[in-house]
Amino acid sequence: MEHFIETIGRNMFAIFGVMALGGAAVVVASRSAVHSVLAFLFAMLCIAGCFLSLEAEFLGMAQILVYAGGIVVLFLFVVMLVEVSKAKEKEVFQLQSRYAIGAVLLGVAAFAAVFRKVIFGAASPQALVLRTDLAQGLDVAKQNAQAVSRGLFADYLLPFEILSVVLLVALVGAVVLAKTERV
Amino acid sequence: MPTPTLLQSIAITLIQCVLVVLFVFVVVPLTVFAERKVLGHIQQRLGSTRVASGHIGITGWMNRGMWKWGRIPVLSYWRGIPGLLADVLKLILKEDIIPAKADKFVFFIAPALSMVSAVVVFAAISFVPGTFFVFPAWFPGLGGLPVSGGIADINVGLLWILGVASVGVYGIVLAGWASNSKYPLLGGLRSAAQMVSYEVPLAISLLAPVVLTGSLNFGEMAQRMATGTSAWGLVPQVFGFLIYLTCGFAETNRLPFDMPEAENELVAGFHTEYSGMKFGFFYLAEYINMTVVSALAAGFFLGGSWLLPFGLQGLVNQLLPADAWIAGPHAIFFVAKIIFLLFTYIWVRGTIPRYRYDQVMSVAWKYLIPLALVNLLLAAFVRCAV
Repeated sequence: MEHFIETIGRNMFAIFGVMALGGAAVVVASRSAVHSVLAFLFAMLCIAGCFLSLEAEFLGMAQILVYAGGIVVLFLFVVMLVEVSKAKEKEVFQLQSRYAIGAVLLGVAAFAAVFRKVIFGAASPQALVLRTDLAQGLDVAKQNAQAVSRGLFADYLLPFEILSVVLLVALVGAVVLAKTERV
Repeated sequence: MPTPTLLQSIAITLIQCVLVVLFVFVVVPLTVFAERKVLGHIQQRLGSTRVASGHIGITGWMNRGMWKWGRIPVLSYWRGIPGLLADVLKLILKEDIIPAKADKFVFFIAPALSMVSAVVVFAAISFVPGTFFVFPAWFPGLGGLPVSGGIADINVGLLWILGVASVGVYGIVLAGWASNSKYPLLGGLRSAAQMVSYEVPLAISLLAPVVLTGSLNFGEMAQRMATGTSAWGLVPQVFGFLIYLTCGFAETNRLPFDMPEAENELVAGFHTEYSGMKFGFFYLAEYINMTVVSALAAGFFLGGSWLLPFGLQGLVNQLLPADAWIAGPHAIFFVAKIIFLLFTYIWVRGTIPRYRYDQVMSVAWKYLIPLALVNLLLAAFVRCAV
């Protein structure tokens, strides 16, 4: 019994990962758009579980807060408004399937290109190591949020700010598109 | 203290979960009862302040007696209990109807999502400082092991609470969609927009105490509020607290902001098509969420969960010897704060009329978010200055 539980505990990452993949498969396969969104929510929660099983509590919670609590709600909001009739919806789905396969292949290729060393090579993924002056007086294993914030706002400040500008560009772009449509 | 093995610690966690569920099932009916009574007194509703068994038991005897003496027994505390019992019985016994054109699976899962996300939040809230109780030695398998006051005292407790609570919105939105009828759908759409917008100022207002104490952990925060200088505690986050409370009312869909179920516009909003215990789950979830919001307010704004409010603890600790009863943390202060805030919920419901829907949204985006940001900035300045 004890051995069994320990085995489950060790393989938590794999279990959550398989569940997330299952959820993602349902997102693609489901006929109803709302069911897809529900499966997407499930997948997002499972990914949060993956983070938690790696003891990255802060990332896991941020995953739930941002994706499950914010973004997927907006998806649901839009899907609930858009869903008109089943037949029309089906047509749209079938139209997309060709592009979807291409997009998935492209995504897999990009992922492999980025992580090829980790997957094929002998190199192990490197953990985030804070500069020694930043890590002073910090128990990284226990003070997750503090470690992430120090890394984000000191070591990686410039990439972080550039990312926020990219997001801002996307936001402004969305506003511009919506404006031209209305006129 | 012996350290528990893996199986034992799992068993202890399960026992803690059962205790939390028991707590919930004690607090919710009491809150409903209190709500009926207080609203009855505020709005002169007759039933809940007068109905009691007129025939049997001590209540009936006293009831008849007081009428005989020419007194109206409004202040007797048991009055309204028959109404509460009838309500609970109705929830459990009523037929469970699923509309023919509803999406069966989503219709089934929506109340469960609401309920689960409301209860799971309690994992990060510790009710009792330190050890709750120790199992007596004769207890099979678990003798002599301590049970701590919170289930999971995690480092990122606040984020856990906010994250799980934000999943609760799916219950309402999906209930509105799955019912496949107009009014629930409108209620669901309203709630999606409302809860997503009010989550922003809610989180920002909670950040101010986090900045001041420098911790996301519920218990640790309380400790820092106790041991920190009394200056922090004596300048309480008044604006932050008011912003938080307003957003808390909106997040739990309580009266000034109960757009998702506005009775006079949407029949009963998102749960129009629900009956029986499925409706009961929404009802329970609403009251559990109220308790959670109150518990958070007690922990973050009223001077740490187990201490005296408004920085009084700092003064008490300076004036009194350290071994005085009131100088230590006590669960009873936490419960008292929760009860007071639950009363505030009912009080506001009885006093303030409902907002119009566009007003609800403009209050969130045009007033509360800027105010919360300014408040956070001020808190950061205070933190730098101290």
